[in-house]
Amino acid sequence: MIRALLATLVLAGPALAADRIVSVGGAVTEIVVALGEGERLVARDTTSTFPPAVRELPDIGYARRLSPEGVLSVDPDMILAEDGAGPPETVDLLRAAAIPFVEVPDGHDRNAVLAKIAAVAAALGVPDKGAALAADVGAALDAATGQAARGPHPRVMFVMSVQGGRILAAGRNTAADGIIRLAGGENAVAEFEGYKPLTDEAVTRAAPEVILMMAREGAEDMSDQVLSHPAIRTTPAAVARALVQMDGLYLLGFGPRTAQAVRDLSDALARAGS
Amino acid sequence: MLEATDITVRLGRREILHGVDFRARPGELTAIVGPNGSGKTTLLRALTGDLSQEGRVRLNGQDLSSLRPWVLAGLRAVLPQATPLAFPFTAAEVVRLGLMGGIEAAEADLVPKALARVGLAGFEGRYFQELSGGEQQRVQLARVLAQVWRPTAHGQPRWLFLDEPVSSLDIGHQLQVMRVARDYADQGGGVVTVMHDLNLTAMFADRVTLLAEGRVLAQGTPADVFRDEALSRAYRCPIRVNTPPEGGTYLLPHAAGQVAAE
Amino acid sequence: MVAISPDTAAAWDRAGHARRTTVLLALVLLTVAACGLTTGAAGTSPWTVLADLLAGREVALADRVVLFEIRLPRLAMGALVGASLAVSGAVMQGLFRNPLADPGLVGVSAGAGLGAISAIVLGGFWPAGLAAALGYYAVPVAAFLGGWASTLVLYGIATRRGRTSVATMLLGGIALGALAGALSGILVYMADDAQLRDLTFWGLGSLAGATWAKLAAAAPLMALALLCAPMLARGLNGLALGEAAAFHIGIPVQRLKTVAILTVAGATGAAVAVSGGIGFIGIVVPHLLRLATGPDHRYLLVNAALLGAALLILADVIARIVIAPAELPIGIVTAVLGGPVFLWILLRRRGVLDL
Repeated sequence: MIRALLATLVLAGPALAADRIVSVGGAVTEIVVALGEGERLVARDTTSTFPPAVRELPDIGYARRLSPEGVLSVDPDMILAEDGAGPPETVDLLRAAAIPFVEVPDGHDRNAVLAKIAAVAAALGVPDKGAALAADVGAALDAATGQAARGPHPRVMFVMSVQGGRILAAGRNTAADGIIRLAGGENAVAEFEGYKPLTDEAVTRAAPEVILMMAREGAEDMSDQVLSHPAIRTTPAAVARALVQMDGLYLLGFGPRTAQAVRDLSDALARAGS
Repeated sequence: MLEATDITVRLGRREILHGVDFRARPGELTAIVGPNGSGKTTLLRALTGDLSQEGRVRLNGQDLSSLRPWVLAGLRAVLPQATPLAFPFTAAEVVRLGLMGGIEAAEADLVPKALARVGLAGFEGRYFQELSGGEQQRVQLARVLAQVWRPTAHGQPRWLFLDEPVSSLDIGHQLQVMRVARDYADQGGGVVTVMHDLNLTAMFADRVTLLAEGRVLAQGTPADVFRDEALSRAYRCPIRVNTPPEGGTYLLPHAAGQVAAE
Repeated sequence: MVAISPDTAAAWDRAGHARRTTVLLALVLLTVAACGLTTGAAGTSPWTVLADLLAGREVALADRVVLFEIRLPRLAMGALVGASLAVSGAVMQGLFRNPLADPGLVGVSAGAGLGAISAIVLGGFWPAGLAAALGYYAVPVAAFLGGWASTLVLYGIATRRGRTSVATMLLGGIALGALAGALSGILVYMADDAQLRDLTFWGLGSLAGATWAKLAAAAPLMALALLCAPMLARGLNGLALGEAAAFHIGIPVQRLKTVAILTVAGATGAAVAVSGGIGFIGIVVPHLLRLATGPDHRYLLVNAALLGAALLILADVIARIVIAPAELPIGIVTAVLGGPVFLWILLRRRGVLDL
């Protein structure tokens, strides 16, 4: 009863004065900063690493395993979270503590980026700034994808990892699939959804012309190891040594930097394919 | 009175005992002897209620299968051949396990008494696992004694079942343990024991059952049962029973090669 | 369990020592519990809140939530889960006559793991009505049902003509564990990225999801099992002599096994369901207590409950402050604390006593 009452109160006045915000999700945090509202952040999750300044904020842990008391300890007045943040028990407790928990929808295409920006801006109470940013990002995206469409359309395989010689590749309905298509490429692995290990034969059959990977900070360069993998070695990508590495959040975050990422990727694809 | 009639035991497909009849009286020490594999231990286990068997066992006039475990434990105690012990219990704690379900006020007194009776006074705080094999066997005997000594409400005779109680002991301790069993019988308790050593059996038993191949070959006093012909047949080797003129004790040495088989 | 007071007891009697240890452990548990209530990422002080409430002053909503909706259920859950795991471990070790036995041997953990993974991965395929009714209790409910189902299957396999073979149970448990592992593997393959992260975290255990509702569902089972356990004490003592000798001294061995297995399945099943995989408590706690006060289950089971509860609360306090405001999975803390202790025990006792 009391909780229900509190919940309505919270909904009635969505965070007009929210200035102690916990941001959960790399793209969400980027958007808050891009809207010029970075000052209002008091904490972030582990995946929020850009811009570098946000790393100074306290880290409340992994987005799907938030600790209720940990979140409450930074005394927030709103939580802005990407889709899938949780666990639900924590979300319920935060709601019980009368702290608005705003979920930002996720997606891997142009409109999803704009929707994210709009949702964050609305939650922050700055819809005008949101509309401006969305217009900028939308225009940049259109330009980037337009240019990419005129470039080459190589078959690209996104390799998440090669742990133990097993290739974990991105199928349909993944962020990697989304960014490859925006950048004018074709996902070489369309047989399944999500990230799955591929057999060596399937890698050969997929015959990617470009291998795309995340650049891991501080980790050794894996490109030689990947290109000499027995299955990848036979592919056109390995023959041409066409391997592209980009920062994970930049490439797959679908935040405000997506247009730039599309441009970088399509340039890289054009270079790799030539 | 312990009466077993027509006991047949099968383990898997093999029939170990074929219709054995057995009886023992309180106040007597009854020994079960026979060669390896003759079914001695199986018969003992049938008498203690460990096995499901054909035939019927009556203890003090009650059908064994009708008695609940804790009631049975008030009527008889069993000393197995070897009792490996899990966890580091002390000698006193092992002995006290025999008092389970009894009147516990008596336990502080009974534990040292039982240990002293088997020659282990002062061993109370020693870890069971740190004792020698012979000492472990005697601690287990003390546990069994505590079980038959503990006070109970019923006035029925209580029984000791011993499975080769002296097989891991030196000769001095063999005599000591046999005397404990003998005394218990003399005080009116029933003792049924599986024996390997025929000399000790002849010295201490009131009655003997000779088993061979799952059947009773002979039953009666040691004098009745221990005859050259019966023993040689049971053990499949020449055995002579000697009765030295200077004493009443029988000696049963193996007549290695001197007596021809048949 | 009565009769001898410590001063009249003989010198060899460890009972007095064990009883003093019980009192000591109860005090430790109270201290640790106070610690659990007062420490946390948020600076809420329970004493201030209590004083404010008593004085009728307004208490900040966040403080009230931290204290009554987060720390208190979490404390109760930690105490119950810790006690359940430690007591289950002690019972299993007594039943299997092996100090290294743990509740996993009766198939609870494998079944619970499979149940949890099914709920996490296949949750989307459940009938909508069922999924809605269970809400976020789907994982605990599935884990509990999985744990029970596998225990019953294993018990059925190991029981012939009214006798349960502990050895068959041990081997059957290994086979069942492998089977559950294979099924889990199939589900893991089907899982998406986010679900995989959930699976990993479930396996590491946590008390962070403790709510009054979960507690209300799981606590009765754990409490019932904890109350049943002391009644097994004499039987487990007798079982140290072996099954035959236990029967000879008057223990209804088959009934003891049945009750012990059901107790462990209930306590561990509920504990694993609400907290995920938390290791080492079940082995280390009974072991330490056997070293300290001897193997008599009449004291061991009670002391294990107290020490298990205290240790898990302590581990949870550590888990939630060490990288605050984020928190560690508690399974990591118990493994980091328990692993070395366990090795130390092994090295120290090596060759001295038959473990």
